[in-house]
Amino acid sequence: MTQDNVARVHSHETMHRLKSAALPSHGENLTSPDEMTRRDAIRILMGASSALALGLSGCERKPKREIVSRVAGPEYQMPGKALYYSSTWMEGPYPYGLIIKTVDGRPIKIEGNPDHPINRGTTSAAMQASVLSLYDPDRLRGPSGGGSPIGWEAVDQRVSEALRGASSAVLLTRANLGPTERELVRKFLSVAPHTRHFVHEVVHDGPRRAALGKIYGAVGEFLPRFDRARVILSLDSDFLGTDGAVLENIRLFTEGRRVNDAEHRRADISRLYVAEGAMTVTGSNADHRIRLRPSAMRRLASSLVRAIEGDAAELNALGAESGVSPALLTALVDDLRRNRGGALVVAGPHLPEADHAAVAILNDILRAPGNTLEWNTVLPSLKVDDPAEVEAVFERGVDVAIMLDTNPVYDWPGKDFASLLSRARLTVGHGQYLDETLAACSLALPSNHNLESWNDAEPRAGVMSICQPVIAPLFNTRQPAESLLTWTKALAAEGDAIRSFEDWHDYLRSRWGEGSATAAGGGENETKQRWEDALRAGGLFQAVREAPFPELNRAAAEDMARAELRSGGLDVVFLPHHAVYDGRFANNGWLQELPDPISKVVWDNAASVSLQTAQRLKAVEGDRVEIKVGDRSVVLPILVQPGMADGVVALTLGHGRTAGGKILGEAAGANVSRLLGQTAQIAPRLVTEVQLTRTGESQSLVRTQTEFSMHDRPIVLDGTLAEYREDAGFVQGKRHIPEPVTMFPPYDYSKGHKWGMAIDLSSCVGCNACVTACQAENNIPIVGREQCAVGREMHWIRIDRYLTGDAENPTVHQQPMLCQHCDNAPCESVCPVNATTHSPEGLNEMVYNRCVGTRYCSNNCPYKVRRFNFLRYQEAQLRDPVQELVFNPQVTVRGVGVMEKCTFCVQRINEGKYHAKDKGKAVEDGAIQTACQQACPAQAITFGDVNDPNSRIARMNASKRAFFVLEEYNVKPNVAYLARVRNLNPALAGDKKESHHG
Amino acid sequence: MSVDTSSLAAPSLFVGDVTLRKLDDDIYRPLESFPTIRWWLAIAITGTLAAIFVLCAAYTVVRGIGVWGNNVPVAWAFDIVNFVFWIGIGHAGTLISAILFLFRQRWRTGIARFAEAMTVFAVICALQFPLLHTGRPWLAMFWLVPYPNGQGIYPNFRSPLEWDVFAVSTYGLVSAMFWFTGLLPDLATARDRAVHPFRKLVYGILSLGWKGSNRAWSHYEKAYLLFAGLSTPLVLSVHSIVSFDFAVSVIPGWHTTIFPPYFVAGAVFSGFAMVATLIIIMRKMFRLQHLVTDNHLELMNKIIIATSLMVGYAYAIELFIAWYGGVSYERYAFLNRALGPFAWAYWIMVTCNVLVPQLLWFKKVRRTVLLMYPIVLLVNVGMWFERFVIIVTSLHRDFLPSSWGDYKPTLIDFGLLVGSFGVFLTLMLLFCRFLPTIAATELKVILSESQSQGGGHE
Repeated sequence: MTQDNVARVHSHETMHRLKSAALPSHGENLTSPDEMTRRDAIRILMGASSALALGLSGCERKPKREIVSRVAGPEYQMPGKALYYSSTWMEGPYPYGLIIKTVDGRPIKIEGNPDHPINRGTTSAAMQASVLSLYDPDRLRGPSGGGSPIGWEAVDQRVSEALRGASSAVLLTRANLGPTERELVRKFLSVAPHTRHFVHEVVHDGPRRAALGKIYGAVGEFLPRFDRARVILSLDSDFLGTDGAVLENIRLFTEGRRVNDAEHRRADISRLYVAEGAMTVTGSNADHRIRLRPSAMRRLASSLVRAIEGDAAELNALGAESGVSPALLTALVDDLRRNRGGALVVAGPHLPEADHAAVAILNDILRAPGNTLEWNTVLPSLKVDDPAEVEAVFERGVDVAIMLDTNPVYDWPGKDFASLLSRARLTVGHGQYLDETLAACSLALPSNHNLESWNDAEPRAGVMSICQPVIAPLFNTRQPAESLLTWTKALAAEGDAIRSFEDWHDYLRSRWGEGSATAAGGGENETKQRWEDALRAGGLFQAVREAPFPELNRAAAEDMARAELRSGGLDVVFLPHHAVYDGRFANNGWLQELPDPISKVVWDNAASVSLQTAQRLKAVEGDRVEIKVGDRSVVLPILVQPGMADGVVALTLGHGRTAGGKILGEAAGANVSRLLGQTAQIAPRLVTEVQLTRTGESQSLVRTQTEFSMHDRPIVLDGTLAEYREDAGFVQGKRHIPEPVTMFPPYDYSKGHKWGMAIDLSSCVGCNACVTACQAENNIPIVGREQCAVGREMHWIRIDRYLTGDAENPTVHQQPMLCQHCDNAPCESVCPVNATTHSPEGLNEMVYNRCVGTRYCSNNCPYKVRRFNFLRYQEAQLRDPVQELVFNPQVTVRGVGVMEKCTFCVQRINEGKYHAKDKGKAVEDGAIQTACQQACPAQAITFGDVNDPNSRIARMNASKRAFFVLEEYNVKPNVAYLARVRNLNPALAGDKKESHHG
Repeated sequence: MSVDTSSLAAPSLFVGDVTLRKLDDDIYRPLESFPTIRWWLAIAITGTLAAIFVLCAAYTVVRGIGVWGNNVPVAWAFDIVNFVFWIGIGHAGTLISAILFLFRQRWRTGIARFAEAMTVFAVICALQFPLLHTGRPWLAMFWLVPYPNGQGIYPNFRSPLEWDVFAVSTYGLVSAMFWFTGLLPDLATARDRAVHPFRKLVYGILSLGWKGSNRAWSHYEKAYLLFAGLSTPLVLSVHSIVSFDFAVSVIPGWHTTIFPPYFVAGAVFSGFAMVATLIIIMRKMFRLQHLVTDNHLELMNKIIIATSLMVGYAYAIELFIAWYGGVSYERYAFLNRALGPFAWAYWIMVTCNVLVPQLLWFKKVRRTVLLMYPIVLLVNVGMWFERFVIIVTSLHRDFLPSSWGDYKPTLIDFGLLVGSFGVFLTLMLLFCRFLPTIAATELKVILSESQSQGGGHE
């Protein structure tokens, strides 16, 4: 009996339209489906039918091991009532704290853990999308050997036997192993003595780490404090997009950019300079952007050091050579010099070691260490090994190769990994999908999803985060750590302590017990209590004791920074994809369909170049070019990206996956990691010797936004800090507030609630987290690449991006756009069947049942935020017994021919009102959060009752920076936008076009 | 006896020696003889097209609107273009049968029946689209109609689409009844001429026991006049209300007060062009050139050029107001029409609707079938594009540039467009085969008047 029975049980329920994952109350029988007997299965079916007959919604799939929910008191189940669990997101490059909402045992929504000191309740798009991957029907459902299913016992036997007899074995893992996993790996290596452990990642900060280690003589990393900095200079670091603890970076950065109307004359916010080759989220938030090739970053850093010390000759030479305005460079130097102790320089992880040395010197003379930079000695991830070293080991001959949750056959930066693998006698792949690597392995072992896993993480000193499962494995899967422990136990000598651990959970817990026992002492009960407290809170978060900043060895750094610069005709930089990252999330439709924050491309990757570079290549957008590095090449379409430096080609990783699921099969794009690992590279992800040739073919890139000019329309308003200091209401003169003339008698909203939203454009960095949060909360379908190509994407909230000013180096404007819930909604009056109406609380409501789909409302919506179900987008998902589990039971799944749009998360509003009513209290300000608001790492979105004069939303609406989009049409929108305040260097005020409209 | 062509303003409406007997013979011949090979060929083609329509419609209902090219922002496209186009086509029929009747334009009799039939069939074609264009037609067909129901919800009477329901259904019903009333005496003639008992039975039932008594004629005349009176405001109201779909919205390029008169003029324009297009073929096919004469065609051409000028004026004034009004969105919408990605459609529209019809200033062109035929064909094309320009170009680029989009029709879109012509032409061919295409009774009145008075004028 395999998990198929579970699936069948689910499909029975589907037939009975029982939305809850009802399974018989003898939940423990289900925890490990491979142990199920025929008798069990019959009992399950009987249980399910009796549950149906009695109208019970049954029990949930609880993990076998005790897990602890956040609610105080006894844990019980109320049908339809959500339970929340703390956990940790271990899937991405950086671990963040999670709160997982489960309904009837099904995890359906992920939020950030507000107690977690790093992400503080916020989430990224990839975290939000994690629930979709949990219910991915393409996941592996059981172990297989040589293509045919086998049992775990057989697997363990084969692996441990092979390891026992191996004269050389390799264990290949990801970099982000938790401390307990690292401990286990060490133990494993000690019992399998011929085994070597290697860490593989394509995206990593190896050069930065190595440089810091050498010049500071200590293991550690910079922790940039963007909130404390007055002047921030980024050298190709996308710290708001993909570099480091992005959620924390965004929070700190926006904290440093917050203004307060009451003190507008003294307003002081940080100024961001970005020197970059590609156009990134960080660059799009820059006050001043310097278009510069990544290979020139070291020269910029070194010459800045010299300029600050008084000799600007080299800086001027660099400016002249790379076409950067001398005024800008001079202003930058002045700004940095004036702000010693308040300046901060960060450098991209893909830059060579020498660049980081140069940046360290720059930071040092700017007195950043200890002020705007902290030193973190506990690194969130392991050091990534040199691929050449791994290749050498394989070439010498390997008996057993074990790969845990990593996909080197797809993204190995070097030789063809599949052929390396074929030399090994036994190849073991552990992963969630039958991906490129698992397909090449003799044993393909299915991994648990993060939400089915036990784990821990320690991204920095004082932050111990626990990952607890919130659902028993849906399929016959096992955590890689569990497998590793099993094999370790099998290899360990009789009497070894490791053999006393029942399973991975036991091992993990014991380690936590040790830690806390030594710290606090106490008996078993206290240990248990502490463990439960930690589970409830999501970990142990202690006040971080700031580590003293080590002394910079300036001579060593200067030595290193002087290393020879190599530069070819073009720089090629390999960036992680904003959503699917290095390809690990490629089978997630929410992430594939998430528009690139800059180019708005979906389901694809491209070779981004500047307009001038495109002209030099005689290529236009969509022309497919062959990108040749060394003896390998890939073909990608050209994307002309304003703002990129000339002579730079930006490639995104993560596409061109060939195995592992249906979703990634629908995506276009090519695997660019194939180009890596050859002599032409000056850093792991930076290549300077490359040939680009047009193939003569062309391809269309699917973008969700195609027009980036604002056409001088007053859509996104902004101003400079100088303007703001002069007049906090600088934006008010640009508004067009109409005479309140209307044919229809105005409705009195002054009684009860009146919901409104405000979005602070000064905070929004355009990261997309809100888009996926909304998708997860509101059961928004994905439509696929073809449907996106014809303009039918379904997102209820989108990030509009406009470019103004210099065509080569434009100013970027981000604007989250969603239903504005207009008081005089043009959509409402034109609906012939009253399917969209206004609530007394000011919501523009959509009655799906009533909608006949004339689409007149969409036509008449000035913001074009309404979305239509042109085809049966949800049907396949509804029919799939696994996929349908992801749906939020509080939100209707819309069928074909029905219009939909943002509801201001009306289900959350109502839930909040019920809760307040239960307690006999008024709804507290902030008790109701929309999904987009809750996810937002910048906390740019405020939602609440505008009738409550003390609410945050009322204060935001009263801000002098507030304006409404298209308010001149008297539609009376309810989403206020707060104008962005740009901190332009006054010395450059004339150099850069300010606002695009007067 | 030939007709005196110089008498007053009335041009000759008959050619050659037409007697009452010959007139009946000519008009009823297609009903009473086995259809010609040409008719069979024609209906084979149109029937195929009609079948394509049915298939495409069924496919749309089963799969969803996504089989069309529509998207967001262009949520309406071929569907509503076709709807407005077909409603417009119908207008000539009502104008001819009602307004020209009230104004005692005798020349109308030769083409009235045909034009009315066209109206009814055009409305049938038009009605397919508002229903088919909804995402859930199986619900729309009920919920758009106001009737007391268990849900306690009425339609939204503020919505121009709801006004359409009333306007178009009224129009369809009145047109059909008007047409049928006019047919009664001729159906009776068909019954009386019928030899086969089955034909006699069918026409007998259809003619509602018409005996030609004085009483019957008196009622008939009164009813006809009433219907003409009822239909007259409809000519103005239906397309005005259809234009409200756009004029009442907020979209730049739609939100325009000129729309009602402009749409009515356009409708008459396209309607006459379609009448001319079809009647030229019909009179050739059934050899009725002596009843539908070149004089008829010339008069129609005069109306076509008059309405073409009105439409041209509307185009010009729209551009002027867009500039003069000073609203940047509006200005952009019209600049985008003339110069944007769909400029080709705009210039097809201007060429076909304004420039080409100017040739009709020449009498020779008005009276020569070979010269005028391409013109009226192009007017049909131009008027279809007018609606395309209004709907698609206004929608594809509205307020926020971020939401701008493109539009590409699919094969199904073309299938429905071409298919709707198939449905229309099939109905026309069946009409030509089974019903008198020319109002024989009315023509007889004129004929006898002209014979007794030597002229066509009262």
